[in-house]
Amino acid sequence: MGALTIRRGRDAAQVEEVHEDVLQYLTFQLSGETYAIGILSIKEILEYTTLTQVPLMPAFIRGVMNLRGAVVPVIDLAVRFGRNETGVSRRTCVVIIEVANEEMQQYIGILVDAVHEVLAIRAVDIEPPPQFGSRIRVDFISGMARVDNRFVVLLDVEKVLSVEEMATLSAMNGSEMADLREAEV
Amino acid sequence: MNLDAAKQTFLEEARELLEDMERILLDVEATDTTDEQLNALFRAMHTIKGSAGLFGMDEIVHFTHEAENVVDLLRGGHLALGEDLSGLLLRCHDHVKAMLAVVDDKAMQQEMLKTSLLDELRHYAQPAAAAEAANTGHASVPEPGGLRDWVMSLRFNDDVLRNGMDPSAFFRYLRLLGEFLIVQPVLCRLPQAERFDPESCYLRFELLFSSDASQQMLLDVFEFVREDSQIHIFPVSEAAAHWPQLIAHADEAEQAAVRQAWHALGLSPDAPASVATAPEPAVAVAKPADKATDKADKPAASVAEAKAPRGSESRFIKVEAAKLDSLINLIGELVIAGAAANLMARRSAQSALVESTIAIANLIEQIRAGTLSMRMVQIGDIFSRFPRVVRDVSKELGKSIQLNVSGADTELDKSMVDKLGDPLMHIVRNAMDHGIESSEARLAAGKPAEGNVWLNAYHESGSVVIEVADDGAGLRKEKILAKAVANGLVAADSVVPDGDIYKLIFEPGFSTAEQVTNISGRGVGMDVVRRSIEQLRGTIDIDSAPGEGTTFRIRLPLTLAIIDGFLVSVGNATFVIPLETVIECIELPPDALQGDAHNCLNLRGEVLPLLGLNRFLELGQPHAKRQNVVVVRYGDSKAGLVVDELLGEFQTVIKPLGNLFRHLRAMSGSTILGSGEVALILDVPSLIHFATSQEAERFASHAEHAQQRGGHGNH
Repeated sequence: MGALTIRRGRDAAQVEEVHEDVLQYLTFQLSGETYAIGILSIKEILEYTTLTQVPLMPAFIRGVMNLRGAVVPVIDLAVRFGRNETGVSRRTCVVIIEVANEEMQQYIGILVDAVHEVLAIRAVDIEPPPQFGSRIRVDFISGMARVDNRFVVLLDVEKVLSVEEMATLSAMNGSEMADLREAEV
Repeated sequence: MNLDAAKQTFLEEARELLEDMERILLDVEATDTTDEQLNALFRAMHTIKGSAGLFGMDEIVHFTHEAENVVDLLRGGHLALGEDLSGLLLRCHDHVKAMLAVVDDKAMQQEMLKTSLLDELRHYAQPAAAAEAANTGHASVPEPGGLRDWVMSLRFNDDVLRNGMDPSAFFRYLRLLGEFLIVQPVLCRLPQAERFDPESCYLRFELLFSSDASQQMLLDVFEFVREDSQIHIFPVSEAAAHWPQLIAHADEAEQAAVRQAWHALGLSPDAPASVATAPEPAVAVAKPADKATDKADKPAASVAEAKAPRGSESRFIKVEAAKLDSLINLIGELVIAGAAANLMARRSAQSALVESTIAIANLIEQIRAGTLSMRMVQIGDIFSRFPRVVRDVSKELGKSIQLNVSGADTELDKSMVDKLGDPLMHIVRNAMDHGIESSEARLAAGKPAEGNVWLNAYHESGSVVIEVADDGAGLRKEKILAKAVANGLVAADSVVPDGDIYKLIFEPGFSTAEQVTNISGRGVGMDVVRRSIEQLRGTIDIDSAPGEGTTFRIRLPLTLAIIDGFLVSVGNATFVIPLETVIECIELPPDALQGDAHNCLNLRGEVLPLLGLNRFLELGQPHAKRQNVVVVRYGDSKAGLVVDELLGEFQTVIKPLGNLFRHLRAMSGSTILGSGEVALILDVPSLIHFATSQEAERFASHAEHAQQRGGHGNH
């Protein structure tokens, strides 16, 4: 039995050696399209629970949630990509992602319509992002992966969830709102 | 042994010693000197010198040595501590501090050693030294009597190396004090190779040393090892008399070895030397007894007991701040979990369960209070900086100013104390520069020539109040108002209450000083002061009477970690209003709030501005049928927040919202309710400020239009 285990262990090592350029990605559904994120930055996947709305923030910041005592912001990716707000259904999930921010780890949740599966994608199957023609901002895309003869958009988490950019956006949002209100008066 | 850690300890200790030194020097300026103070001064310089020597920081040793000489003369009564000298010593203090700051930069230190301070110090030391030399005739034994030969018996404990002490460092340092004549190692404790522990120190020395230092000074060299090692130092002439004491705790083999060493030094113990043979077998005999003798060594009262042990040290434990923070975080979780359990128990309506959760809640409350008190430090820590500042600045300004400190034992959260230093410094400097008039002006106004600045701290209903007061000219309302009108901050014909006029000085770029000095007057700063106080969830108010003075009153919460909150709901959202800002709650009269988010209410004859949270925070939910008003206080003013439901008091742990929300004004953080939901904590002052600035912008744009029209008319 012992020998068997060892052998198997060795096999696994060999397998890994052969496919060392294979990375695993979590695919999920977002306003009708499939996207993928490298699993290394994913901390956990949670069922949708009611979020606490944070007032005076742009629409893509859906609110905050309680992650075992820590308060985590939740982003509506669809709105961030310029689509309509994500509706809440039975399969709606929050994917908690670890984002490096000025040498500090921060957790951010993203709201998705449904989570599919974890795919192993070989590096040779990943194409660079097209210069235009994609339906989201090009710098959000880290690559296009060929899976079963169709393309899955691999998201660049650092860019999509750039705290810097989102904070700046929300600051602008605040002053814009003030301007708008002023205009009303 | 990690030398970096030891160095860190040294730097920390040196910093504390320097603080002591500064405090004493400033005290001394005010009062007569006591022996204790002078001893403490000496100890500061001496310990820094000693420790710096251990780390091979020769430059610091050199400098502190000179300073120590002067302080030693002070201690001996050969010099008097006048204003000049204490000024010089203060500058020396600064210099040592600066040298310690560049401790890793040898070249820089070398450079810093070329200071005129050394000459000044020598200038003090030399004439006094001459006088002292004349005195030595009738000096007692510990007094230095010129060059003398000393016998040293250095029997280090096995553990010195493990404790981070290198015996060779002592030798290096001793060389600065005098000259080694003969050094005899005593090797009888050296074990055989296989039993040799490289971390133990087996070396012992008997030596002859020539120096003009006093016995005490030589003993002080070994201050760090004296406790568990046997260090004996005698003048050669008295060596024989001390022999029995010296060998009292040594076993036979060691006695023999020491005896032999003494012979080599040319000394003879009073006992006949007949036993002093056959050292070789003695080595073998010595080993088994080693441990036992070591044990016996420790309680041995050596001659070196000159200073009383530092008793206060054992009463404190230094704990890493991070450990305490994580404990406080956990207790925060416990508070939340306790609240959740309590909620469940109440829902289940089992009285026994409810009772036990209440008992737990009480305990948690006690633990919470206990842990938070661990973070509390006395505000005196920052107050102690000010005597020096006031002294320096008043000299610089040519004003005579007395600082009065009270309430220095008021406790405040450590993290707040750290952030409070700069704003306080700013206010004090401002008070001295602008508040207090010149002596002539004061006399002309019928006031004593010496100005006063008061620093006071006290607790008041769950918050800490810090007052900075002066008896200067007071703020000039008209001038501030005129400036504010000129800057376009206030409309020319508006009526502004006094408190609000004073607050104008917190506006960015606001200064009424005609003269810009290098201390203050540039108008940078007061807005920074207000911002940093507000970041601490505090408020700042100003009281001022023309000709009598100005008082800045800073009100701060006791801690940043946990607050008592008042829970309200607006639509579907739940918010926490810090309880300390809540004055009362009333029901909203049905016709009071119409349309706009801003409105006013008649509160027992007072005008209460109302802010509809639902509308203002754009929650977009329909109003509940009955609405309530929470009357809150910010600074000296009141406002009413219109909410839907009042849910009662709730103790909350503040969770920061994180970087993503850093631009969000109006919310100071979040908390987790017993149900597990997240509720946002309203930041009342900035919420009101936000609302006010929006309104001000609105009016400002009107005023701008008006002004533009007026400007065209003039042309």
